[in-house]
Amino acid sequence: MIDIRIFYKKRGRIKYISHLDMNRLMQRALKRSGLPVWYTQGFNPHMYLTFALPLSLGFESDYEIMDIRLTEELPMEEVVARLDAQMPPGLTVFKAAPPEMDVKEITDCIYEITAEVPGGAKKAKEQLEALMAEPALMVEKKTKRGVATVDLRPNVELLRCAPQGEDILALRLRCTSGSTLNINPTLPINLFCARYGYEPEGVSYLRVQVLAGGREFC
Amino acid sequence: MNEALEKKIERALRRVQKPARYIGSELHSVIKDPAQVAIRIAFCFPDLYEVGMSHLGMKILYSLYNAQPDIWCERAFMPDTDMVEQMKGLDIPLFALESRDPLLGFDFVAFTLQYEMSYTTILAMLDLGGIPLYARERDERHPIVIAGGPCACNPEPVADFFDLIILGEGEEVNLELCALYREVQERREYLRRASQIPGVYVPSLYDVEYHGDGTVRAVTPREGAPATVTKRIIRDVDKVFYPKEFIVPFISTVHDRAMLEVLRGCIRGCRFCQAGFIYRPFREKTAATLDGDAKALTSSTGFEEISLTSLSTSDLGEIEPLLDSMLDWTEQEKINLSLPSLRIDTFSPGLLEKIDRVRKSGLTFAPEAGTQRMRDVINKNIDEEEIFSSCRTAFEGGYTSVKLYFMIGLPTETEEDLGGIIDLSQRIVDLYYSLPTKSKGKAVNVTVSVSSFVPKPFTPFQYEPQDTTEQLIAKQRFLREQIKTRKITLKWHNSDVSHVEGILARGDRRLAPVLVDVYRQGHYLESWEDRFGVGAWHEAMARAGLSEAFYANRQRGFDELMPWDHLDYGVTREFLQRQNELAHAGTPTPNCRAQCAGCGANKLIGGSCF
Repeated sequence: MIDIRIFYKKRGRIKYISHLDMNRLMQRALKRSGLPVWYTQGFNPHMYLTFALPLSLGFESDYEIMDIRLTEELPMEEVVARLDAQMPPGLTVFKAAPPEMDVKEITDCIYEITAEVPGGAKKAKEQLEALMAEPALMVEKKTKRGVATVDLRPNVELLRCAPQGEDILALRLRCTSGSTLNINPTLPINLFCARYGYEPEGVSYLRVQVLAGGREFC
Repeated sequence: MNEALEKKIERALRRVQKPARYIGSELHSVIKDPAQVAIRIAFCFPDLYEVGMSHLGMKILYSLYNAQPDIWCERAFMPDTDMVEQMKGLDIPLFALESRDPLLGFDFVAFTLQYEMSYTTILAMLDLGGIPLYARERDERHPIVIAGGPCACNPEPVADFFDLIILGEGEEVNLELCALYREVQERREYLRRASQIPGVYVPSLYDVEYHGDGTVRAVTPREGAPATVTKRIIRDVDKVFYPKEFIVPFISTVHDRAMLEVLRGCIRGCRFCQAGFIYRPFREKTAATLDGDAKALTSSTGFEEISLTSLSTSDLGEIEPLLDSMLDWTEQEKINLSLPSLRIDTFSPGLLEKIDRVRKSGLTFAPEAGTQRMRDVINKNIDEEEIFSSCRTAFEGGYTSVKLYFMIGLPTETEEDLGGIIDLSQRIVDLYYSLPTKSKGKAVNVTVSVSSFVPKPFTPFQYEPQDTTEQLIAKQRFLREQIKTRKITLKWHNSDVSHVEGILARGDRRLAPVLVDVYRQGHYLESWEDRFGVGAWHEAMARAGLSEAFYANRQRGFDELMPWDHLDYGVTREFLQRQNELAHAGTPTPNCRAQCAGCGANKLIGGSCF
């Protein structure tokens, strides 16, 4: 049994496919690919398949991670080619490799975000920068046990913020991620929208990187 | 696809539940270059995506159309209420999933008529698409709106909404309609010529007159349309086109699996079952064809399950060789094989052994009626002995729950027949506790699902009055009171829904304004019970000056002209009358394989069925 980590991109309309549906989609793609996938043993065998960090519905991503197991060794290029050939439009498999890190080592994600701010990109930039400079940013966050209050300040970092023309604000955000604390970028952005009267539906999210410490998770 | 519309759709998708219903782009969905095709077809299923994507007929016709280089067939489904709200607010017309082009620009907009409760949803889809509801209000700017499917056997309540309706199986006639369209596109001329194609019914070419008592006096064709339209069938179903790939949905659908159509028609002749008559004659596929199609479908889709579908799969002549060859590779490839429509009385020991290797989803029986007398009336030839021996085997194998399907409101039904439903269920409970193998501490559960009988056209019961809502409710109450144990769970259908189905099933053209009225009152997606309100129907019927009892609860005479009598589905009126008389005499009829009952449908294949 060979552990393989698959890296893929999720772009375009397919961003509206939920995590649960991605799971089924990948199982069917693996089946069609004919790759020698390892099944769990037991009464009701199923494909071994796990995703590192569930992506929110509506987010695009250039760095999605899925772990599978094969029953025999194959060249990594072949795994990529055979699985990528089975992807529906919008999904691209770009890398397969033996896992180097444990999923528990994930610390942060980097997002590229564009927000529609009709006619006021410059002002919106100032507003966001002011907001991110506040000493504490307390928000309510849904958790498995109910609602908790977290301070976004140490967990969200504005890496870049620039107007794109008059109507769009483009930003790059680092958010604490992983199994202990996972900060969804909608938390700071919805706060920003609510405070300054922008539409949350006008915001697009793209995950560009997953980090473990300072390194790219792989 | 224009960019402004694309932006609006994107905005709407961010605001709705389950946006994946509206994005298309699934594996095997077909994209063509609009500039390279001559005919654009929007295949519409008047229900939510999850329901429509489970429909086999759509999969077949979608693939068939798209196999033609100059035809592009796309899909449209009814958006849920939240999406409808967004579409209205943002001024987004109903669009096809593949191209996102509005329906209004298509050559054909095709609906499937699967159940009566979808009729108001058809109106909602036309309306969202900006297409006039009535055929007579359309002109050269509008698509030709067509329909087919089982409810086309009495399309009269919706006839005024369609430019043409296809009767029977669509594989050949749909392509003939496209061929004609390549020649003629002027609407009136097209429809006049189309009415000459066998199996095509152009409602606007028929005038309906009524007697003073509301029954039909005459249906008269005009402009050379045939007096009787006969449904189309495929003579050799083993050779008929079958898709080698299905669209693989992203989201979970009702039937999320590969489906293999193994046969058409049914040899059983249960007298309440419309499907058992309108799909005649019985025709089946060979094991070799089916096994090949199954392999192609599962390898192109990656589905983890394949089901053998038909009205009665165990009646397939080559079922045993088929299971033999399929089980060989499905087990190997970890694909579940499911057989949803089995009749226990046809189980041979060999078949039983094979079915044992198929993953069981549960133990389900459809005795349909509680006493042998009642089962003889409806010609449901099922033997209690067989139910009990199957239950015994299942209980001994560790099963603790059984599901039973029954109907109430059947012709000639008495209190004894109703009591028999609970009595039969109680005896299954007792059987469980009489077995030494019963699991300790585990209770048995018998779920009794009771639906209300709706008389349907082209069945021997097309003459029968339907029980009134009050009668049905009283019968449901009676059943509840009969239950003496918590081991039996009773479920029943909304009797108001059955009542409205009853009105529409045997309705005529005067119901069209009623449907529009109910839709205008805000009702669509009425197949979902929370979207259904009987009040709207009462109001609309009253406004139209129509009697609900006239349609639903009235006994028809054998000599009455039915609203659908100008449509020919093979089975003759003489046969239906004979079967009705046998029903009242409590005399069953053998299945078609055992003995031909002379229904008349074999004229469609020009010889005997077996």
